[in-house]
Parts: sequence; C-alpha cells; structure tokens
Amino acid sequence: MGISSGPKPFLTVGVLFILLSPATGFSAPGRPRVINCRSPEKETFTCWWEPGDDGGLPTTYALYYRLEGSETIYECPDYKTAGENSCFFSKNDTSLWVDYNISVVASNDMGKSVSEPVEVDVVYIVQPNTPESVMVSVLEDNHGPYLRVDWEKPQSADTRSGWITLVYQLRVKQAKDETWEEYDAGMQKYYNVFSPHSGKEYMVQVRCKPDHGFWSEWTTPVYIQMPDYMPKVRSMWIMVAVISAFLILLFAWTMNVKQNSVKHCLLPPVPGPKIQGFDQQLLKNGKSEEMFNALVIPGFPPTSTYEDLLVEYLEVYDDEKRELVLNEKNLIEGSMKSKSTSSDNDSGRGSCDSRTLLMEKCVDESGTEQELSQYGEASWASSDSEGRDNPASPGLEDGKVQMWPSVFSSPQSHNFQQQHPGGLRASHHSVPEISCVSPQVQTCCGQQDQLEGFQFSKPGLYRYAQMYSMDTIECKHVAQEPQSQSQSQSQSAEYVEVQTVNQENVLLVTPLSNPEGPNPELSDFSGEDYSKVRDVTSDNVLLLQRDLSVSQFVGDYCQDQIGQVDPCFLQQQQQEQTCKLNAHLHHPASALQEDMRLAGNGYVDTTMMMS
Amino acid sequence: MARRSQSTRLHLAVTILMCAFVSTDGVDMNDLLERASQLSDKLHSLSTSLTNDLDSHFPPIGGKMMRPSMCHTSSLQIPNDKDQALRVPENELLSLARSLLLAWSDPLALLSTESTTLPHPERSNINSKTKELQDHTNSLGAGLERLAFKMGPSSEALSSLPFYNNNLGQDKISRLANFHFLLSCFRRDSHKIDSFLKVLRCRAAKMRPEMC
Repeated sequence: MGISSGPKPFLTVGVLFILLSPATGFSAPGRPRVINCRSPEKETFTCWWEPGDDGGLPTTYALYYRLEGSETIYECPDYKTAGENSCFFSKNDTSLWVDYNISVVASNDMGKSVSEPVEVDVVYIVQPNTPESVMVSVLEDNHGPYLRVDWEKPQSADTRSGWITLVYQLRVKQAKDETWEEYDAGMQKYYNVFSPHSGKEYMVQVRCKPDHGFWSEWTTPVYIQMPDYMPKVRSMWIMVAVISAFLILLFAWTMNVKQNSVKHCLLPPVPGPKIQGFDQQLLKNGKSEEMFNALVIPGFPPTSTYEDLLVEYLEVYDDEKRELVLNEKNLIEGSMKSKSTSSDNDSGRGSCDSRTLLMEKCVDESGTEQELSQYGEASWASSDSEGRDNPASPGLEDGKVQMWPSVFSSPQSHNFQQQHPGGLRASHHSVPEISCVSPQVQTCCGQQDQLEGFQFSKPGLYRYAQMYSMDTIECKHVAQEPQSQSQSQSQSAEYVEVQTVNQENVLLVTPLSNPEGPNPELSDFSGEDYSKVRDVTSDNVLLLQRDLSVSQFVGDYCQDQIGQVDPCFLQQQQQEQTCKLNAHLHHPASALQEDMRLAGNGYVDTTMMMS
Repeated sequence: MARRSQSTRLHLAVTILMCAFVSTDGVDMNDLLERASQLSDKLHSLSTSLTNDLDSHFPPIGGKMMRPSMCHTSSLQIPNDKDQALRVPENELLSLARSLLLAWSDPLALLSTESTTLPHPERSNINSKTKELQDHTNSLGAGLERLAFKMGPSSEALSSLPFYNNNLGQDKISRLANFHFLLSCFRRDSHKIDSFLKVLRCRAAKMRPEMC
C-alpha cells in the first residue's frame, strides 16, 4: 500500500490526543496543605493535611519532616493511626523544644507537589483531650438545692508528674436558653452551681486547657432535671406570719377580757380623799342623816359638865351679926347632894350651905336656939314623918341657924308641913330668888325682939323660897314690923332686885317692879295673864278666881280669920296664897267661899296646892 | 567521761538543729517551688504575648533564616521528652533551669535597651513588656538560687551560656529580625524553665496530691 496516505492520519491522531488527555487528570497533583498539628499530652503529636488537587491520577501523599539543626529528612512514621491524611508522631519520634519542619508531598504519575513547610514546636501545639466522666447531681444544703458537677481529667494527660498542668472550665445553661454561663474551676475536678431554678432542665459541659496550650473541646452535654421545691426562706416566713397572727389575736382577746385590770394597771385611778367614817354608800342611798351620824365622833364636841357652866357660889355676908349667905349652886347637883350632906362646914364664916337654906345669924343665939328648937321640934313633930329623913335637917350650928324648909311649915297649917316635903322634894330652881323685900328686912332682922317672930315668920319666907328649889337659898330679910307696918309693908315674896352691896356686905334690894309700895301694886304683879286660883278642892282641882281683890281686903280678911296668927306671919300670908288657904282650912265654909279672893298676886303655886 | 558527755551533747544539739532545719526546709521548698512555678508561668506568658505583638504587623520575615538552634543556649543538654525529663533528678533539673535563666539576663538587658528604639508600631507595649520580663527573670533567678541552696550543693553547678552580641543590628530590618529571633529563643527557654519547675513542684508535693 503504498504508504503514501498522506498527512490526514497524522493530523487526526494529534487531534485525538489533545482532546483525550485532559479528561484523564493526568497532571501532577496539587499542593497539599498542612492543616494543623496537635499534641494532646505533650508527648505525641499528629499532623493533618489537606490534599490538593490530585491531578486525575492516583496521588500519594508523603509527609516529610526535618528537625532544626539537621538536614535529615524523615518521613512520617504513621499515616494510619490518626486517620486519613494525617501523620502520627509517636513518642519516639517526638522531640520537645525542637522545631519540626513538616511538609507534605503529593505525588502521582504526572508529578509531585510539595506543600508549604510548617514550623512546629510540639510544646506550643498542646491541646488536651476533653475531660471525661462528667457527672451532674442535685444536692441540698441550708440554702436550698444546687448542682454539683464532677469530672475526670483526660486519660492521656499526665498531670500527676507535673508534666502537664490542666485547668478546667464548665458551662451551664437551661435547656431552653441560648446563653451559657461559664465558670472557671481551676485545677479542681468538681464544681457547685448554686441557686438553680426549680423545675428546670439544665445542660452542663466541661473543657480543659493546659498551662500553655489550647482549650480542649467541650464534652458532650449532660442533662439534669431540677426537682420542684419550696424555698425554705419562703416557708419560714409563712410560718412566722402565721404564728405572729395567732399571737396577736391571743393578745387582743386577753386584753379585751382583762381590759378592766389593764386599765387599772395602766391608768391607776386617782385616789380620792378619804374621810374617816365617811361612807359613800350611805350618801348614795340618800340617808344623809345616817351618814352624818357616822361622822359624829363620840366625845366631840366636848361637853362640859353642867357644873362647869355654873357660876360659883356667891357669898354675901351681913356684917351686923347677921349673916346671910346666899349660896347658889348647881341645882341639879345640889338636889342630890342636899340629901347626902347635912351640913357643910366650908368656912367658919357661916356661909350658906348650898344645900341648906340659911338663916340669919342672930347674936343671941341661946334664946333663939331654944325657941327655935322648940319651934323646930314642933314643926318637926308635925312633919316628922317626912321631914326627919330629910338630910337637910338643919343642924344648929354655932352662930348659925339652919332651918329646914320643913321648919317653915308652921304648926298651924298641916298643909304646909305636908306640902313641905313635897315642896322640898320638888324644888328645882335654876333661878335663885332673893326675896329680901326691902330694907325693912334688915331692920327687922336687926331687932332682936322680933327675932323670934321673925324667925317664926321666916319659915313663911323661906318656905316660899323653898317652894321653888330646895337648894335655892334665899335669904330673906323680911323686916317685919309691927302690924302698923305690916300692912303698909308688903312683905311680898315677889322678886326683888339687888341693887348694891354696901360696904357692910349688905345686899340692898328693892322690889323689882314696885318700888313704891307693894300693896297697891300687888295686883300689878299679876298684870300678866295669870289666873288666880281661888281654891283647890279636895280633888286637886284649881278654882280660878275671877277678879282680883285688894290685898288690903285680903289682909284684913286674913287678919280677921286668923287672929291667933302672928300678924307678921299673917301679913306674910297675905301675899301668898297660903293665906287664903289657911283661912280656908280653919274656916273653910264661910269665909273662903265668900271671898275667895286672892291677895297679892294670884300666883298659883302648884306645890302648895298639893295636899 | 566529762569530755565525751560534752561532745555527745554538742552533737545531739547540732543534730536536732539540723533536723529542724531540714524539716522546715521541706515546707519552705514546697512554697518556694510553688512560687517559682508561678513566676515561670508568668514569664512564659509574657514572652508569648510579646511575640504576638511583634508579629502583628510584620510577618516573621526572619523566621526562616534564623533557626532556634542558633540560640546561644542551644548547647545546653536538656531532656527532650517526658521520659527523659522524669528521669532527671531534681537538683539537675533545678540546675538546668537556673542555667537557662542565668543565660538570659544579658540578652534581656539588650532587648530592653533595644525595645525603646525599636522601629515598631507596638514599641511602647513591647517596651513595657520587655521591662517586665526582665524583672520577673531577676526575681525568679533569686528564688531559684535560694531553692538551690536548700536542695544541696549539687545543684550549685551551673552551665555557662555566654551571649556575645551586644546589639541587634544596624538597620531596621536587622534589628527587628534580631529582636524577633532573641525573643523566640527566650520564649522557648522560658517554657523549658516552667516545665522543669512544675515537674519539680509535683515531685516535692507528695502530701498534696490534689495539686498534681
């Protein structure tokens, strides 16, 4: 055949060759790249590379390294341990504090490519493995529950010898949250997380780092569920509130019950005045009398005895042998004492005894005494039944004649005698009576011859005085003159007025209301509305007289009737009711009935009437 | 008899004092090692930070030309791995640490001097850190010296690692390159010191297992 085809086949082969060659990757591989080298425990390390384009052909990679200061190139001893595209340097192949110059060569059929060299010092590429055995638990203490995280160091790291020193770090977050809370745990292998929220789920991760190196990867998260719980603080406050409320209620109830005593304790009542014996209840009851009676203190006001109020004895003396003594004394007392003591020798002066009615003292006593004694006996005899026992029986003393009022009871009138005791006994007078009628009394007394008569007449006077009081001693100087004077003289027993006491200790007396003459004025004495008694019947009935009669008439009448009577005596009796009575007694029928008039003052003395 | 009694008494007293001294030293050594390791850790961190500052603006242009093997302390024989390091006795480890630290006193002074005029944007930062580096190195050196005294006379032997350069260069690039190189050497050596001291710390603190 002649090889004379020409240029066409040559051109075809060339075109086919050009077209087919790119599709098969026939090129040298691209440059790989060393990614990083790491040493987990500072004893070994591993390098990883990234392959480049392989060029379409099976490419092999080789790692070559060179130590500094030497030119010897070593190839990676272990491509398998660390995985694909890695080189693992074992302990024997690892040197510290030496720079490694590592490069990777990719080669294929087409060519080779070399990566960039990397300077690596092992001590600078330390990155430990992740911590292991991470455990999370919920614990409780006084403040409440908390999380406790425990872990272990990575096994490869030799911290025990101090070859490597690890510090740890953990992070916690709630499962639903986004942000983590990181905590540095230092070199310890546990950590407490406080105040977690109750009822929430938490995630915990831990990592570590060498003293001069890289942080490890985080561990796989550990999930923990917090239980539901009540904070103790809140429960404590609730209990405190309940107890305090209970205590407040109890206190309020107690105060309410005891409010009175509390009020008394806090606000003590102001003490009021206390009066002894004062009872408020009596006052409230309205019985003021009882209350005031309670206030009365016995013994107050001090009541003085009646005796203290009395005036002392008044002694009146008559210097002319006659002594008239007036004694006044407590009538009450005197009445009692008069019966006890018969004589009272208070002084030798012949003072009047309080209990006894005094007689004037006559000079001539002997005769007087005799007569007196006779008379006295007679009178006594008549009234012995009643007069004897009278303690007031007069004792005839020297110079002193004391005659009882009973003496006055004239023998003529039994009535008198009878009345005497009554008069004696019933005599209570508070007012002494000085019935010295007139100066004539003196003279009368001065006359001895009339003394006897006077004495006799005295009983009338004395008796008159005695009618009022036993103790009242009336010294009556009844001057009885002879008949001529008797009439003019009104020896009335009316009250006299003591004017003066002369130098001779003689009482000068004047009639009270009738200085002129008693006679015509006798009726004036009875100017008051006094009723004159005419008569006293046997039935003790007073017969009152209608009108008054002239004393003179009476005097005459008396005189007529009682002739035997001593005129002095008769005159005396004119003034008295007894005159009339005497007349009535002796001449009861006619005289009295006709002229039942009362002379003098018609003063009725009930004591005389009593029969 | 009297003399013997006196001599025995004297020996007894000395023995008691020595025991007390040693016992107290044990406690003190742990604290000293703890303090030293903290300082060394601080030292290395500073150097790393300084290196980062230096490389922030300039790529490590001189990194390829000057290798760490050219450091003036490279001649010192040190353990390269853990097994070797754990086999080294304590006093030798301490001696190595002290030798390294001592070798860097002069270069650090140079660096401190050069940092003031270093044509670098981070010069102030670099300057302050360089100064701090120098201070820590000095205090650590003093502590290690005291530690060596407690450990015994064998730790007193130090390797001499002289440094002959007195300047970093004339031009800007040289200076920067040299500064960078020295700093890198120091960084590594500080790491060595830190590692050795931490090994010593864990080896001495047998009573406190939680620390290691």
